[in-house]
Amino acid sequence: MFCYNCGCHLSEHDFCTACGADVSLYKRIMHVSNMFYNDGLEKAGVRDLSGAINSLRQSLKFNKNNIEARNLLGLVYFEMGEVVAALSEWVISKNMRPEKNIADDYIGMVQSNASRLDAINQTIKKYNQALVYCTQDSKDLAVIQLKKVLSLNPRFVRAHQLLALLYMDSEQWERAQRELNKCINIDCNNTQTLRYLREVELMLVPDENVKQPGRYKKDETVRYQSDNEIIIQPVNVREGKSSGVSTLINIGIGLVIGLAAMYFLAVPAAESAAKNEAQKSITEIGNQLDAKTATIKELETQISNLQAQNDNLNRELDGYVGADGTLSIIDSLLTAATAYLETEDVQQTAVNLENIAKSITIEETSEAFQKLYQTLLSTIGPELSQSYYAAGSEAYSSDDYAAAIENFQRAVYYDAANGDALYNLARTYRKSGDNEKAIETYDKVLELFPDTEWARKAGRDRTALAGESN
Amino acid sequence: MINFEEELKKFHPSLEVEDAEEAIYNQDLTDMADLLVKMIKESEEKPKQQ
Repeated sequence: MFCYNCGCHLSEHDFCTACGADVSLYKRIMHVSNMFYNDGLEKAGVRDLSGAINSLRQSLKFNKNNIEARNLLGLVYFEMGEVVAALSEWVISKNMRPEKNIADDYIGMVQSNASRLDAINQTIKKYNQALVYCTQDSKDLAVIQLKKVLSLNPRFVRAHQLLALLYMDSEQWERAQRELNKCINIDCNNTQTLRYLREVELMLVPDENVKQPGRYKKDETVRYQSDNEIIIQPVNVREGKSSGVSTLINIGIGLVIGLAAMYFLAVPAAESAAKNEAQKSITEIGNQLDAKTATIKELETQISNLQAQNDNLNRELDGYVGADGTLSIIDSLLTAATAYLETEDVQQTAVNLENIAKSITIEETSEAFQKLYQTLLSTIGPELSQSYYAAGSEAYSSDDYAAAIENFQRAVYYDAANGDALYNLARTYRKSGDNEKAIETYDKVLELFPDTEWARKAGRDRTALAGESN
Repeated sequence: MINFEEELKKFHPSLEVEDAEEAIYNQDLTDMADLLVKMIKESEEKPKQQ
């Protein structure tokens, strides 16, 4: 303790040993301040925060320089969610004693976390907004705001109290009680909280002597609203002393009722569910059956079509295959080849080959078949061609142009290199009056045998024929 | 019986962080010790004036 006059350290005497000033009253004031500080400390220790605030304020009214009292006051404010008030006290404390002051740590703790400081500011703003909503009679919005505030700062006693007041106003007594209990847990001796709590308890457990008009319709029931539901709680209803037998009877009746309810409610429902399930299964199976039937019909149609194709192919094959199972056309070719090798009869071989060519398309036969056919044809071709050429010439001489044309055509067919036959075919066409075919055949001679005597003759005749036609 | 309107009047807006500085400056920090010192000084000055 220091002298107010000179600032020297005071002794146990009632005057300053340095300047001689009377400090008896001053010392008493300091003692009173310390006494209030001790009282506040004691109350804060048992969570009587409101009481602690009163004592500490008193302490500071006597001695504003009581740093411990000021720091403790800030701490109590902080505990009650009054962060700005707490910060104010700590800042003043720090200004009064800049060194070795725990307020420095407190301020640092709050200010070090920017997001936390921002959250604190948000809670204060929301609380103030909730107050505005209350004055504007928007109580639902106020409740929502206060719930947000308390989710951010659950120790904000004033917010709890205001929320409880709103719940009380809407006759949600249980909720109000819950909020007030939270207040009590933070500040156990808050007069306002206790007053509200008393009111709420009066509503929840009504005294018979205190009549609440409009809230209790009958003496034997308690009626109050919780959220949107009206709770009707019977009071003064005591359970009679029941004997063991009556208990057993009651249990038996209960069992019978339960079984009956099961029989009449649960069993039909289960049966209905089982029937529905069976019906679903039957429907599903029916659908599957229809799908399979359709598939079977489709497959049967395919089988019949394939069977018809198979029969056609078999018939075609039978036409080709002889009695001993070999293809008749191959047999014919082999027979023709064998006959030629044995007899070298060109005419008969030619007849056989012509028969083969008439019955099938040579180009569609196998490679070996074509090779044998062509070999046979080229072997007998020149000789046969000469034979037909001779016959054609004879017919031409006897003016039988039709026979001559046929023979010349065969001579050309069997030997494409037979230029005489081709030239004479053209001449015969000319003689027979078929000038068009004659010119066509002359052109073939010019094309196939250029620079030959046949070409020269053909050119001359063609020119003459063309002149005749024009 | 609690009157909501009357009770609501007891709730005041809380100080925001931005207002803390102003609140600190405006706080009346005069204590009993100040008053005592003032009274003593005044009592000392009166005899001198006389």
